[in-house]
Amino acid sequence: MNVLALEFPPVSHLFEWPDMLFSGTAYAVNKTVLVYLAAVAITGVIFILAGRPRASMVPTGVQHVAETGIDFIEDSIVMQTIGPDGRKFMPFLTTMFFFIMFSNIFEVIPGIQFPANSRMAVPITLAIVVWVIYNFVGVRSQGLGGYLKNSLFPPGVPVALYLIVTPIELVSTFVVRPFSLAIRLWANMVAGHLLLVTFAVLTQVLWSSTYIGAVGPFAMLVLMTGFEILVSVLQAFIFTILTAVYIGGSMHPAH
Amino acid sequence: MSQRRNRLAAAPLIAVLGLVALAGPAGASGESVGGCMAEHLAEAVEENHGDLEHTLHDEGVQDDLEKCFEAPNPILPETNEIIWGGLSFGLLFFFMAKKGFPAVKGAMDARAERIAGDLDAAEQAKIDARAVEADYQARLGDAKGEASRLIDEARGAAEQLKADLSARAETDIADMRERAAADIESARQQAIADLRAEVAGIALGAAERVVQSSLDAEVQGRLIDAYIDEVAGSNG
Repeated sequence: MNVLALEFPPVSHLFEWPDMLFSGTAYAVNKTVLVYLAAVAITGVIFILAGRPRASMVPTGVQHVAETGIDFIEDSIVMQTIGPDGRKFMPFLTTMFFFIMFSNIFEVIPGIQFPANSRMAVPITLAIVVWVIYNFVGVRSQGLGGYLKNSLFPPGVPVALYLIVTPIELVSTFVVRPFSLAIRLWANMVAGHLLLVTFAVLTQVLWSSTYIGAVGPFAMLVLMTGFEILVSVLQAFIFTILTAVYIGGSMHPAH
Repeated sequence: MSQRRNRLAAAPLIAVLGLVALAGPAGASGESVGGCMAEHLAEAVEENHGDLEHTLHDEGVQDDLEKCFEAPNPILPETNEIIWGGLSFGLLFFFMAKKGFPAVKGAMDARAERIAGDLDAAEQAKIDARAVEADYQARLGDAKGEASRLIDEARGAAEQLKADLSARAETDIADMRERAAADIESARQQAIADLRAEVAGIALGAAERVVQSSLDAEVQGRLIDAYIDEVAGSNG
């Protein structure tokens, strides 16, 4: 694609990868799939090493990463949004946080430089899983009638306003939530990847033509790489805390 | 053993990372626009029995070629990625729920419990030390009190002894003084009696010689006593 005399790769070339194994089947393996598997492997290795019986009294290395992650999810997410009842969701939320974070962080790993969550597959799959879980938790905690009543007719709202509030809540809680959850993560990673590619292409082109002109885009590339590390972790945190908020809202409607 | 386990754990990670790194740069992937057009054109020419001119003016073929410029909708997920992504998350969740999370959380809880236990033990030791110190202070206070009491008692006993000895000495002195006075009085009375007897004897002899008469003993006695009294009165 030629934009202002720059050869910018077609957008599809930044996100779509050729099949490497089982080509043409529903089980085709491409770079995106390998990043998912790498995220699984990294998280698994961290927790295998951190869970060794003779772990150090003072956490270091991967043990520190795993324990800090668990503490962070417990103190900053679960206890803040669900409360002590939410501890049973800790394995799920911990898995979600680490899986999303490592799938994202490959955006800045040299040689790979691709966030798997810039593909819609995992964000929408996880969002649907979350949708099922928080609805199931709501029905189990409050009963079907109670859950629907508390969701569609929030207490404390003047009766007349239910004409407006109830349709909004219906759409918001049961339709929009999974999509907003998925699109937020997906769009952030797409935008980040595009930004990095843009500055990388600019740097390359300006370096080959002017040398000095590449300084600005390169500085921005370095800056945006740091920023994308932050975004990768932040989006994992946001996805996880919103999941916890939805579950907490289903368990404790008064909150 | 531990190093072997570390290597075993790191092996799948290294393998997957290697595969990801070898997956190639983004720009080299996917079907190119030119390739797409060439493929469609070749198919259309074949359908038109090799008539290129006719094919190029066919509007249907032109529409097909236009589609090569349309990027696929990036928001729609691919089936294979949904399957692999779902399986990956499911597998990881299964591992985390069964082993990874309980192992790490269990170790954290055990360590927290051990630290809490140590803190409790330290607190108990501190309380015990304070109790021992309080007991020591109490005993020290008791000992000081006892010493003070003993000193006071000794001082009292000494005072009492001093008073007793003084009183006894006073008594003894008084007794001695009394006895001495009695002895003196007794000696005086004895001296007076002896003198009276001596004087009476002398007076009797003298009187006998003077009056040359015999007086009975009773008269003589009365005379002697009168004389002695007279002498005593004159001496007194």
